[in-house]
Amino acid sequence: MNSNPHNPKTPDSGLSPAEETLRLVASVPAPEGLEDRVHAALRIAPRTARVFAWPKVFRPENNWIRATAAAAIVFVIAGGGWGVYTRVERNQPAKVIVMPPRAPEAGGFSGAGAIRVPQTLPGPTAPQPAKANPARPKAVTKAAGRAKTKTSSVIGRPSALGEGSSQPDASK
Amino acid sequence: MEIPTSAVNEDARRRAEDDVLAAMVDQYAGALYRVAYSVLRNPADAEDAVQEAFLRVLRHRHTLEEVRDRRVWLIRIVWNIVLDRKRRSKTRPETDDVAELARVLPSTGLSAEEIAAAAQHHARVLACVDRLPVKERQVLMLSAFEELSSVEIATVLGITESSVRSRLFRARNLMAELLDHTRSLR
Repeated sequence: MNSNPHNPKTPDSGLSPAEETLRLVASVPAPEGLEDRVHAALRIAPRTARVFAWPKVFRPENNWIRATAAAAIVFVIAGGGWGVYTRVERNQPAKVIVMPPRAPEAGGFSGAGAIRVPQTLPGPTAPQPAKANPARPKAVTKAAGRAKTKTSSVIGRPSALGEGSSQPDASK
Repeated sequence: MEIPTSAVNEDARRRAEDDVLAAMVDQYAGALYRVAYSVLRNPADAEDAVQEAFLRVLRHRHTLEEVRDRRVWLIRIVWNIVLDRKRRSKTRPETDDVAELARVLPSTGLSAEEIAAAAQHHARVLACVDRLPVKERQVLMLSAFEELSSVEIATVLGITESSVRSRLFRARNLMAELLDHTRSLR
């Protein structure tokens, strides 16, 4: 075994069994017709990984179609730019009302630095509740209600009249 | 064979690239097969790997002009392919059985018994090689190709030449220990 790492391939160095075997394996002759089979595989192989093939007229080899496409792109971009340019209104005056400058009158009254305070919005007003005839006394209303109740019970039960009744007894 | 730089016509350029590729197939297919076989140890898988390598070259044939050393470049491509295949087929049983080795390895002037014994010996050695750490194993396998120098092995593996030498040193020591251990078990 050659243990010198700096000269691993000395021709006269003794080879280890591993290297002998590996050299035997490495010297295995290629099978007959290998080159022909590789040539055949290369002939039938697709040249490029192309999913979509252009028609012959539109192949990139044709320079005229390339020039036409470039001109069309330039035309579209230039036309679009021109369209935007012509639609934009230029020198549009600003919608600002310019107040005339107030020249202080000589000898006149001044505002004394007063600032106008704008009126605030009027606050919400709640509607007043409607009063139910304040002139009518409360006691009268109560008595009238009681009498009405009694009359209705007498009319509903005639045989149950007791003493003091104003109705005549028919059996007597 | 160089691609003519004056080929302005696209078709002429493509034809020139095809010619370069065909020449590369004729020149390097055998070497690539041996590299692939040393890892996969299966003739059909090795041939598939070679074809895949050239198909990759076909897809990137426009970069051929930039490649300085096409042989090492191709070996690197096929090396990556076979390592990827080996990784993916780890669940499958190893195909480097004794009968396959006896069929493939050269055995001129040997009797049938001697061929069988040699095949068994090689199978044991290869089993020990498979037990090496990945980095050391890769360097040891590539060093078996006499046409690859230490610099070229470093290029294929993407490491420095000194790393190649130190890994090779470790691999040899480990292999000696593993073979001694195997011999003592017998």
